[in-house]
Amino acid sequence: MAEVSLQNVRKSFGAVDVIKGVDLQVNDGEFCVFVGPSGCGKSTLLRMIAGLEEISSGELKIGGKDMTKVPPSNRGVAMVFQSYALYPHMSVEENIGFGLKMAKVPKADIEARVAYASKMLQLDTLRQRKPGQLSGGQRQRVAIGRAIVREPGVFLFDEPLSNLDAALRVQMRTELSQLHQDLKSTMIYVTHDQIEAMTMADKIVVLSAGLIEQVGSPLELYHRPKNLFVAQFIGSPKMNVVPAKVAAVSGDIAHVSVDGGSMLALPLRGGKVSVGDVVSLGIRPEHMSVSSEGVMQATVKLAERLGSETMLHLSGPGGAAIIVRSDGLASEKPGDVVALTMPAGCCHLFDAAGIAIVNGALI
Amino acid sequence: MSITSLKPLNLTFPDTWWRRNQMWVTPLLLLLPAAVVFTIFVIIPIFQSITLSFYDWDGINPKKWVGFSNYTELFGDEVFWKAIFNNIWWLFAFMLGPVFGLALALFLNQNVRGIRLAKSLFFFPFVISQVVVGLVFGWFFNSQFGLLNELLSHFGVEPLALIEGENTATFVVILAGLWPQVSYCMILYLTGLTAMNGEVIEAARMDGAKGWNLLWHIILPQLRPATFIAVVVSVVGALRSFDLVSIMTLGGPYNSSTVLAYMMYEQTFLNFRYGYGAAIATVLFIIMDVYIAFFLYSMLKREAR
Ligand SMILES: Nc1ncnc2c1ncn2[C@@H]1O[C@H](COP(=O)(O)OP(=O)(O)OP(=O)(O)O)[C@@H](O)[C@H]1O
Ligand SMILES: [Mg+2]
Repeated sequence: MAEVSLQNVRKSFGAVDVIKGVDLQVNDGEFCVFVGPSGCGKSTLLRMIAGLEEISSGELKIGGKDMTKVPPSNRGVAMVFQSYALYPHMSVEENIGFGLKMAKVPKADIEARVAYASKMLQLDTLRQRKPGQLSGGQRQRVAIGRAIVREPGVFLFDEPLSNLDAALRVQMRTELSQLHQDLKSTMIYVTHDQIEAMTMADKIVVLSAGLIEQVGSPLELYHRPKNLFVAQFIGSPKMNVVPAKVAAVSGDIAHVSVDGGSMLALPLRGGKVSVGDVVSLGIRPEHMSVSSEGVMQATVKLAERLGSETMLHLSGPGGAAIIVRSDGLASEKPGDVVALTMPAGCCHLFDAAGIAIVNGALI
Repeated sequence: MSITSLKPLNLTFPDTWWRRNQMWVTPLLLLLPAAVVFTIFVIIPIFQSITLSFYDWDGINPKKWVGFSNYTELFGDEVFWKAIFNNIWWLFAFMLGPVFGLALALFLNQNVRGIRLAKSLFFFPFVISQVVVGLVFGWFFNSQFGLLNELLSHFGVEPLALIEGENTATFVVILAGLWPQVSYCMILYLTGLTAMNGEVIEAARMDGAKGWNLLWHIILPQLRPATFIAVVVSVVGALRSFDLVSIMTLGGPYNSSTVLAYMMYEQTFLNFRYGYGAAIATVLFIIMDVYIAFFLYSMLKREAR
């Protein structure tokens, strides 16, 4: 079947190293999402799997076969581009059937498959139209249809929904998840969108500057980030990080003093710290709460009321920006000074280099 | 300062005649100068030429009405048929303009060092004057001191008199004409290629289209507007070819390389047969009209689909 494995894959454009040694295993039928800041190499990596970019060094295997030097059309992969990349002079059905025509599939078979794909994607009534006469969502469906008919082992998507409006994006997101369940093919999906990544992925790959920071299931990345980068990249609003110092260690408990706040006793669960270490204390907005007595004092700067919840933007000791997710009817208003609680089981500790020492005990 | 402390704005506009009608008056006004100039210098002269073709006139003595006799003479004139025949050769040969232009454009449409310089060099023939092109080719093919025979002599080949030959002169001139024409078509195609969405090509590669298939099914259809202009310009260029003939051969030897436009010029301004020249011009005009009508028709039909 079609699992994808990358071994020490590198890519350089001239003197610029863009992908700096990536090892990755995407299992058959898995929905794998690449996330990372702009310019980190997500598209490049995807295009290397597609065969549109040459692999400078390393090995790519698809379905167990070495595909490092195989041309794109022979890799058993299909790609959906961000700009849809439909053939502007061809009708919807010609667009969908073009790949099969190139592969010299008999006309009747092409027709049957195009009919099947158009039905599945609700394009039956639009089959004679040119791409210019379609809406964004319909074009996206044609692009997906073009990928489906080739029955690829691996689907590659490069930010396929980023040109759609918010409502359509939500709809296409569920349609894509449905498609994945129906086809059971391997899918690799690049996105900027936190929600797409969290909701669709079986496996998320966080990339930064051409290297993998962490690979894991959405909840694993959310609750057990390996480093500060992943901790702050996954989740929106992002994880609060406040500077702290290890004041004392007694057995498996570290007593950490938050700058400008009081002492916090954290179970180390195997993590190693020494007295005097400068650390970062991380905690997600939904795990902090406002109460009469807490670990630190902070001033409310802004209350974003979203109805279901309120995002309190606060300024902590030393001006540290903190966000707390609070009740939709929270009574705090800008200017209020409040105390914040930080349950020990939800706190993450990172060392001075940003590597996680302790992750929360939630999962 | 808050916005309320500013002077109140009046955002209503007076309802004038101009405001109500400017949507159709403005384009009319903008078209007017071109329309006037075009009428005076193109439309009216066309009708004057057609009228003149029914007269016998040497430019000095009074015009004499001769009816269709200019035309009957023309259709019996061997040189006229030679010119038509040569124009057809020009037409066929110039169809290579778009073909070679496309080939060059595809070749030059890549990202390597120095490609900009290469592109400008290939575009060069179009930039330089036709007179220079004619002179360069004329000298190159000159049988006595031309570079061609100089080169050939090194291989022991007898000197060739191509440009002086009755059967070859036209082709040498056509070759000279094709050179800038290819560059022009190349630029048209290069612009089309640059405007093309690279992801579409990549999608086609993923779909398994390569080489000839990619060109035929994906690239060429998207270059259709460029092809259209390239073909139109080449046909018009072939039909109105004049300058190179005038520079390189003067239609000779023995009118063997003449074309309609040159024959018209020769009859009108060298032989002072204005009526006869006007008759040639009218025939040329009709040929072009038929061709353009055909092309517009096929284009509109395609648009309507
Ligand atoms: N052809 C190229 N030549 C040189 N550098 C390139 C080329 N293509 C991409 N790069 C560089 O490689 C890096 C990664 O690019 P890539 O397009 O993969 O980023 P990305 O993660 O997809 O970003 P985005 O989220 O903005 O799409 C960028 O820094 C980019 O400047
Ligand atoms: Mg990208």
